[in-house]
Parts: sequence; structure tokens; C-alpha cells
Amino acid sequence: MCRNHSLKTFREGFNKYSILIVLSIIILYALFFVPHFASRINLMAIMFQYSIIAFLALGQMLVVLTGGIDLSQGSLVALTSIIAAVAMSHFGLVPALLLAVIGCTLLGITSGTLVAYTKMPPFIITLGMLGIGRGLAKFIANAKPVPIQDPFFRSLGRKVIFGIPLSVILLLIVCVVLVWFLRNRRLGRYIYAVGSNEESARLSGINTKKVKLFAYSMSALLTSIGGLVWAARLGSGSPIGGANYEMESIAAVIVGGGSLSGGKGSVTGTIAGVLLFGVINSILNLSGISPFWQGAIKGVFILLAVAASQIHSKKNVSMERWAENE
Amino acid sequence: MNKNLSVNMKDLLKLIGVLLILISFAAILSKGVFLRPINLFNITIQNLILMIAALGQLLIIISGGIDLSVGSIVGFSGVLFVLLQDMTEPLTYIIALMVVIIIGGISGVLVTCVKLPSFVVTMAMSYIVFSLAKIIGGGASVYTGISGGEISATVLSLYKSHFLGLPYALIIAVLCIIGVSLYFRTSMGHFIYTIGGNEKTALLSGVPVVRVRISAYILAAILASIAGIMFVGRVGLGDPQAGDLLTLDSIAAVTVGGASLSGGVGTVAGTVMGVLILGVLNNILNMLNVSPSIQPAVKGIIILLAVYLNSRKNRS
Repeated sequence: MCRNHSLKTFREGFNKYSILIVLSIIILYALFFVPHFASRINLMAIMFQYSIIAFLALGQMLVVLTGGIDLSQGSLVALTSIIAAVAMSHFGLVPALLLAVIGCTLLGITSGTLVAYTKMPPFIITLGMLGIGRGLAKFIANAKPVPIQDPFFRSLGRKVIFGIPLSVILLLIVCVVLVWFLRNRRLGRYIYAVGSNEESARLSGINTKKVKLFAYSMSALLTSIGGLVWAARLGSGSPIGGANYEMESIAAVIVGGGSLSGGKGSVTGTIAGVLLFGVINSILNLSGISPFWQGAIKGVFILLAVAASQIHSKKNVSMERWAENE
Repeated sequence: MNKNLSVNMKDLLKLIGVLLILISFAAILSKGVFLRPINLFNITIQNLILMIAALGQLLIIISGGIDLSVGSIVGFSGVLFVLLQDMTEPLTYIIALMVVIIIGGISGVLVTCVKLPSFVVTMAMSYIVFSLAKIIGGGASVYTGISGGEISATVLSLYKSHFLGLPYALIIAVLCIIGVSLYFRTSMGHFIYTIGGNEKTALLSGVPVVRVRISAYILAAILASIAGIMFVGRVGLGDPQAGDLLTLDSIAAVTVGGASLSGGVGTVAGTVMGVLILGVLNNILNMLNVSPSIQPAVKGIIILLAVYLNSRKNRS
């Protein structure tokens, strides 16, 4: 496809940064041409809302890196919020938060164990976990939203430090830790190795099962943080909340350069993917486009973004060349 | 080939076994009420739409992909069909069919020619199609054509009129089952297994990968639209959200029926069994008065169990 060498290097460079370039263009467009986009209220709203999806997307990215998928995230958000809300009225703030995080992570560990130690596809395991999480949330809450009384926890949801929401600061810390972990820690490198080629990773002595278990547990852990942020912001736990959040997080990871076949994806890309969706949603809302059209525009956008990032990816280029030679 | 066939037979027998165990469990629990022909008949009738949608899902899953747009297409084609009711009857079917062929074709082209992962393509497609359904229908359920045409009596009678004692809906579903089975017997259908098993090998052995894949996506979309029109017949209106639960349910049914999400494995008979197992399961949960809030959890565990038993077999 790309016979011209300089064109090819340009394309590879473009490919690497394409998501950031697209994101900057869209943000620039929004800043200058979309009324009220640059207003403080709007920017805050985007940050509050999409920091939740960002936590989920970072967890999803770890799972996608290993070549898996986590469909249970949305219902785990609901479960976390419900456990936190119910436990807070009985045991106080700190035990409630711990219980919520531990409960949610336990489900993640269960998924991880099943993925690592059985031959079932991750799609089905996490689909089953989606049902289990949602059912548990509804069961604990008696299918009704549970209000959170604790004023301190509620105030955390709206806390702003130096003009930045607390949730975004928390998110930034998580991002920095994750980047360092994926670059410098052995386990972090193993995640990429397992996703790129599981068989060769296993043959070179990596305990692939442990790596997978870790990825799914981390996904649930990050999801539980997202769920707590969500509950604090909402001031209640909801058993039906978080529906389809997993789709948004998967879309963000893929638009951010991740590949569902594993081994590809980055923290920067994922966060850029989340921001992209946040900004586009905001633009669609502010420009008064009918909500009916928004899904269609979003869908077309996902396709374009993924086409732009995947069409020149190495795997496909070699596949195309190989097909051309035949 | 012979060995394959016997393995398939064994899987099928296993599924029938699971179904029989579930049925006898239900029969004991309900003190025989479950076994009344009318109850068994109702379970079958309730799951015809899922059955047809699952057949489309099967085509895609065998080819190594996944179809997340089934539900949206079911809702969309129902809405579209109702809105078209001002025209002459054959025209409504033809136009509804053409539109979904285009939708399926686009997904197919994006997966084969642009080489995007089918998960992403069909996820984006489901957003787009759901949005289209809301745009054409004004965001709500539709009851008549654009200028007030009534919904065709033929469609409304699908579940009410009988032919030789069987409702038309059942006959349509059986025809779809036979149709898809026959399609797998043709070379095009057989190639779907080849591609799902190993695409590179398929390409190297001269399988027209592009053509086979695109036809699979188009067929799946057509099946989804048949399911959508049947939904209209069942409830008498077109609802953009008609298929909300169908996407995941159809994937669950196909997987419980022994198909593998990595492609190349799966049978029509297994899928039919998968749908019936899920249907009987729902019925049992309702009969036991399991609160609707915990039902998703129970269903999730049982799907996991079924797939786990299935995956153990593959290891040996």
C-alpha cells in the first residue's frame, strides 16, 4: 500500500500521534466556534463526568492489553455505589469505602481467575459477571436507589482544588502511577508481552495466568474508584446506574489506539480517547443537535477514528502486502 | 469429516441432556404444570424472535466476528416497517429488506475491506442504527405509517392466525432455521467455517473471503429485520428499543449452544438448543418467584456454568 518511503514514515508518525492531533483540532475548533464551550461551567462538567469513564477506561485498557475484554464494568459501578451507600449508613465512611472497593475487586478477581484458569472466552465470563454484578446490586439495594447521608463524602464529589476537581487530581495520580508501572515494572511489561503473543510469552517463562488475573483485578479496582467518584457526585447509590459504561470505556480504549487482539494501547491514548468522547458529546449538546442524531454521529466518529488508527497499523499493512503478493 | 460429525452429535446430545434436566427440574418444581403442552408451546412462541436473531448472530460468530448491532437492527427495522405502511404491501417488505441489506453490507465491507475489528464496527453500527430508528420515528414508538396507514393485517396476524394448528410466526422461525441450515450446506456457507477457523489458510486456499464475509453480515442483518417485523406483529407497534436485550441474549444463546467466540465452531441445532435452554431457564426463574432483581445474577451464573462445561470438553 505505502510504496513511497517518506510517505510511509509520515504515516507511521501520524499514526502514533493521530489521536492527539485529532483531539487538538477538535478542541481548537470547539474553543473558537462552539459558543459556551470554553465556559468554566462546561469545562468543569466535562471533567467531572468523564473522569469517571476515564477510571473505567484505564482498567479496560489493562484488560484489552492482555487481549481480553471486560464487559462487567458498568454493573460494577452500580454495585460499588450500592455497597458504599448501604454500608455507610451502618458502619461509617472509611469501612464503607473499603467494603465497596473490596467487594467490587473480589468480583474482578473472580473474573480474572476464570479467564486465567479456564478456557472460557473473557467475553462470556465478563458478560456473566455483568449479570451477577447487576443482580447483586439490585438485591442489596432492593432494586431502589439508596441515598448517601454522609456530608463529607458528598462534599468530596464536588470538591475543587486550585480549579481542578478532586476526581481529576485522583485520576492524574492514577495515570502517572500506571505509566510508570507499565514502563518500568516487570509485571507491566509482561502485560504487553502476554497481549502481543501469549504463547511466546508463556514459553519465555512468564506466568501468563498471573498476569491476566492481575489485569482483571486491576480493572475492577479502578472501576470501583470510578464507582465511588460517581456515587459521591450523585449523592446516592443506584442499582441501575452505569449501564453501558463498559461500551464507552471500550470505545475510548480502541479510539485511543488500543487493539482488541491485545498488545496495543497506552495510558495517553486512552485518556485522549476519553477526552475525545467528552469533547464531542459536549459539542453535540452545545450546538443544539437533536439528541436523536447524537448516537449516529458518535457511531460514525468511532468508525472514522478507528479506521484512521488501524488502517496503517503494522499488522494490517503486512497482511495487505502479503495479500497483494498472492 | 465423519469424526467431526460424531463430535457434533455428541455436543448436541449433551445440550439436549441439559435441556431435559432443566425441564424435569421444572416439572418437579411445578408439580407437572410446566409439562402442560400449552406451557411448553408458550415458551417456544415467546422465544421465536430471539431464535431468529440468534441464527444471524451464529453466522457472524462462526465467521470469527461478533454482532453487537442485532438488537438495534431489530428495533430499527420494526420502526421502519411500520412507517412504510402507507405503501402497497410487497413494497414495504422490499424497501425494509433493501435498507437492512445496505446496513449489513456496510458492516461487512468495513470488516472485510477496511479490516476494522467486527466488535468495533458493529458497536458503532448499533449506535448509528439505533439513532436512525429514533430519527425516523421521532424518538418514540410508532403505531401507523407516516400518513396514517394501518399496520398490515398479515403481520398483525403472525402470532394469532394458524396454519395446520401452528402460528405463522412459528412457521417463519422454522423456515429460517431450515434456511440457515441449508445455507451452511452450500459452498458459501461452508466457507464461513473455513474463514472462522483460520482466515489466512482460507485466503491461501482460494476461498473468496471478502464475498463470504459480506454475505454473512448481510444475511445476519436480514434475519434481524425478520425478527424486527415479527416483533411488530407481536406487539402491534414499532419500538426503537425493541431489541435492547436481544444482542447479549443472542450471543449468550449461541455460546451456550456450543459455538466458540474465536470462530469456526458452532451449529444451527446447538443454537436452537441454546435458545430453548435460555427460554426454559427464564420460565423456571419466574415460576420459582425468583425476584426479578436477582434474576440477572442467576442467569449469569448459569451461562458461565454452561460455557464452562463446554470449554472443558474442548481441552481434551
